[in-house]
Amino acid sequence: MSLARWRQRLSGWRSRSRGRLGSGSLSLSRQLLWWVLLPQLVLWLAGGVAAYRFAASYANEAIDASLSQASRALARQLKPIGSGLLIDFPKAAQDVLEADPADRLLYMVSQPPGQFILGNQALPPPPLAQGAALRIGQPYFYDGSMPLAGPGDAEQAVRVVALLLRLGGEQQPEAQTLLVQVARSSANREELARRILVDMLLPLSSLILLMTLIVWLGIRAGLAPLKRLRQQVEGRAPADLAPLQLASAPRELLSLAGAINTLLAEVQHSVERQKRFIGDAAHQLRTPLAGLKSQTELALTLPSASDPELRARLLRVHESATRSAHLVSQLLTLARAEPGALRLQDCPPVDLLALARQLTAELVPRALRAGLDLGMDEAAQTPVWVAGEALLLREVLSNLIDNALRYAGAGATVTVGVQRSGAQACLSVEDSGPGIAAQDRARVFGRFVRATDAGSGCGLGLAIVKEIVERHGGQVSLEPVLPHGLRVRVLLPLAGNPQPA
Amino acid sequence: MKLLLAEDDAILSDALTAQLQGAGYEVEHAPNGAVADYLLHKQAFDIAVLDIGLPMLDGLAVLQHVRQTQPALPVLLLTARDALDDRVAGLQAGADDYVTKPFDLPELLARLQALLRRTQPALAPLPPPSRQLVLDAERRCALLCGEALELSGREWELLQLLLQQRGKVVTKERIFQAWASEGGEPGSGNTIEVYIHRLRRKLEGGGLVIRTVRGLGYLLEEEEGL
Repeated sequence: MSLARWRQRLSGWRSRSRGRLGSGSLSLSRQLLWWVLLPQLVLWLAGGVAAYRFAASYANEAIDASLSQASRALARQLKPIGSGLLIDFPKAAQDVLEADPADRLLYMVSQPPGQFILGNQALPPPPLAQGAALRIGQPYFYDGSMPLAGPGDAEQAVRVVALLLRLGGEQQPEAQTLLVQVARSSANREELARRILVDMLLPLSSLILLMTLIVWLGIRAGLAPLKRLRQQVEGRAPADLAPLQLASAPRELLSLAGAINTLLAEVQHSVERQKRFIGDAAHQLRTPLAGLKSQTELALTLPSASDPELRARLLRVHESATRSAHLVSQLLTLARAEPGALRLQDCPPVDLLALARQLTAELVPRALRAGLDLGMDEAAQTPVWVAGEALLLREVLSNLIDNALRYAGAGATVTVGVQRSGAQACLSVEDSGPGIAAQDRARVFGRFVRATDAGSGCGLGLAIVKEIVERHGGQVSLEPVLPHGLRVRVLLPLAGNPQPA
Repeated sequence: MKLLLAEDDAILSDALTAQLQGAGYEVEHAPNGAVADYLLHKQAFDIAVLDIGLPMLDGLAVLQHVRQTQPALPVLLLTARDALDDRVAGLQAGADDYVTKPFDLPELLARLQALLRRTQPALAPLPPPSRQLVLDAERRCALLCGEALELSGREWELLQLLLQQRGKVVTKERIFQAWASEGGEPGSGNTIEVYIHRLRRKLEGGGLVIRTVRGLGYLLEEEEGL
């Protein structure tokens, strides 16, 4: 039946889409979070590096200025005397230069090339490229390393200025070139840069944490309507084709929900068309079948139908008409039990026990004619209220008893029971017939499946039962009865607030 | 007993007419709604059987029309439509009963009789009397195969109930109700069993059997071949 195919297609689509989601793909909110935060993190890192660079260069500038000042001050103290050199460098000035042990200024005066005159011999020479030369009067700054405390000590990074001087002027033939170098430990400079960096880094990091939190909350709030939509789609029963309800949602989501609703409406329309077709076809068959039945019944009463062979043939026609009529009415029931909006909460509670008693009583005469003992379980006494459509539930029980009467065989006992079983109502029909083989038990719920060639059923009874029971949120199961027989158990949820009518 | 049968299917109406005539009705057949409407206004009928899907004028329209002039006419709808909505629509239009096709003739005849009994008690043919057992309501005595039966008040009530509902289940609740309405004290389940046991002994050999229907009640059955 294509109604079932539609539903299979729908549920297949549903499970496939769920499967795709499940196979490791990121959720939308996580994707958004990555897209917002990852570039931010990269920018933040680049900003940190740039800040460190700037801090270091500012620190260098300050140190270079002090070094340049110190070298010029030192240079002013150097005076040439003939071919000699007067160094007017008081002890006090030396002390000032070397006062701070952590930030000592070291100096060296030499006469290029390589003739040491004064100061600390360990100062690194200026790293000059091939062919390049220091220009007179221009301070040249460079980084180097040397033992600060004295010879043999570990080398430490220093910032050095080299200043080339010409003493004596142009008029003096023996003009002298002097190289003045002043070095200062880089430790201070690095300390400064580090502090600048740390002072910037801490607030930046907390800022980024705060930002992450705000962005995450924003994404969550923004995607909340999507989550609601997902819950609506996931939470619905396969047969529920009612439109999705999204009261307040962003435009994009409303159009998505609109598209889904259009699809649902189309499916619903198609299902209804199919249902109407089955209903109409069955209706059209009913009148001619009634005519066929009535005509054969009439023929059987005629005096000329006393011929045994003719009678037997007529009885067969009648039986066939009866079976066709049964099939048609089962088809109609099935079409009616097909997906449609059965809103259980709108149904008044039904007393399952009263229903079972009434229906069983109606079927007793038929059971007696067929030679079966049909009755109710004596233990059932108190009303059992379930939520459901009384006509459909009646159809369930009528099919179960009908099956028992058809297949249990003459002489069998058929017992209908209704009781509470925890939070559920249990309706059971038990017979002492041949039962159903274990391997056939799951199969017999299919449509047009008959486990036996006995009886005159059409193979729709249990399919109808299953369809209706599942629409009521219940389950149906088959159990063997010892020594032989079958028990069909239908579990239905009890009504929420039973009101004795 | 004059009956109007409005049914457009020729094969069905032909057979049904013959069967209803066989059951003692004088049948007038209308092949469409317009004829049915005309006949209902020209002739006096005791009961009408209407199909809903009639050509020209559908059965519900015929029904609504006839209800305006003959509110008391018993009308049974005989139709292929049996969904709840269809039934409600039919009953709202004023139908007294509703039988779906294909039907069993005995059921249709029983419904017609019940309908006549309800609307025109004087006209209704009584259910065929039991061949073996005759109850006299006036004198509250019973004749089994021509012989008088000695029955107590409760036994008589019980037997009358079973006989009226012959072939159908009479529930224990129904029996208690009958006893209570006669001013007696409502008994317990055991009381019923005691009376059933006595009745069975008194009916022995009369071709009538009281069957116990487990968990429900009792049923009076006439043994075949007697």
